Amino acid sequence: MLYMVNKSPLMFGNLKSVLGIAPAGEPILLYEDGVYAAVKGAASQDLVRQALEQRPVYAVRADLEARGLTALIDGIQVVDYDGFVQLVEQHHVVPWL
Amino acid sequence: MEVREEEMANTVAVLMRKAPYGSVYTAEGFRSMMGIGVFELDIRVLFVDDGVYALVKGQNPAALDMKPLGDGFPTLSEFGVTQFYVHDRSLSERGLAPKDLVLDVQVVDDAGAARILESCGIVVPF
Repeated sequence: MLYMVNKSPLMFGNLKSVLGIAPAGEPILLYEDGVYAAVKGAASQDLVRQALEQRPVYAVRADLEARGLTALIDGIQVVDYDGFVQLVEQHHVVPWL
Repeated sequence: MEVREEEMANTVAVLMRKAPYGSVYTAEGFRSMMGIGVFELDIRVLFVDDGVYALVKGQNPAALDMKPLGDGFPTLSEFGVTQFYVHDRSLSERGLAPKDLVLDVQVVDDAGAARILESCGIVVPF
């Protein structure tokens, strides 16, 4: 199962909610405004670090670059569009809109 | 993966996470449930987060010139939509209990919610 998050973790509860329900080990993919969760120093940082202890967390490169986000939390795996497509192909997808 | 997809191809999870009236999501989710039911797909509806507000008894949006969305859910059984699940923490965080809802639902915990999503070939989010 690939749980996909596209909302900012500071404006919306989507990330917190999905991390409560997605079983440990199941990957999270951050895209669109979801990538704000990948940045170091934001109020969502502790939540994301806890998530990384349990599961892979991916962030889409184009969405990071578009927003000028370069200082990322250690352990975040940045994927380009090919990697994004591979993840979606390899997993059953749960969009947490 | 392919075997799994074949087994679950006709199973749809509708994931309801938005409150009613503030957006079109609840109404559109409801319409989708009717459509999916009419096509005789196996449908499981899961209410999480503010989605649980869609099922609260006593909704009266007359002054908003809208139809009460909650009243529609019990009628979905006519379309073969009968499997309704509600996430326990989403209810308790909002001070709600199953008795406050328009439907007899199955209450599920985190793991139960994840199992419903896993059991379906596709998850349609609203």
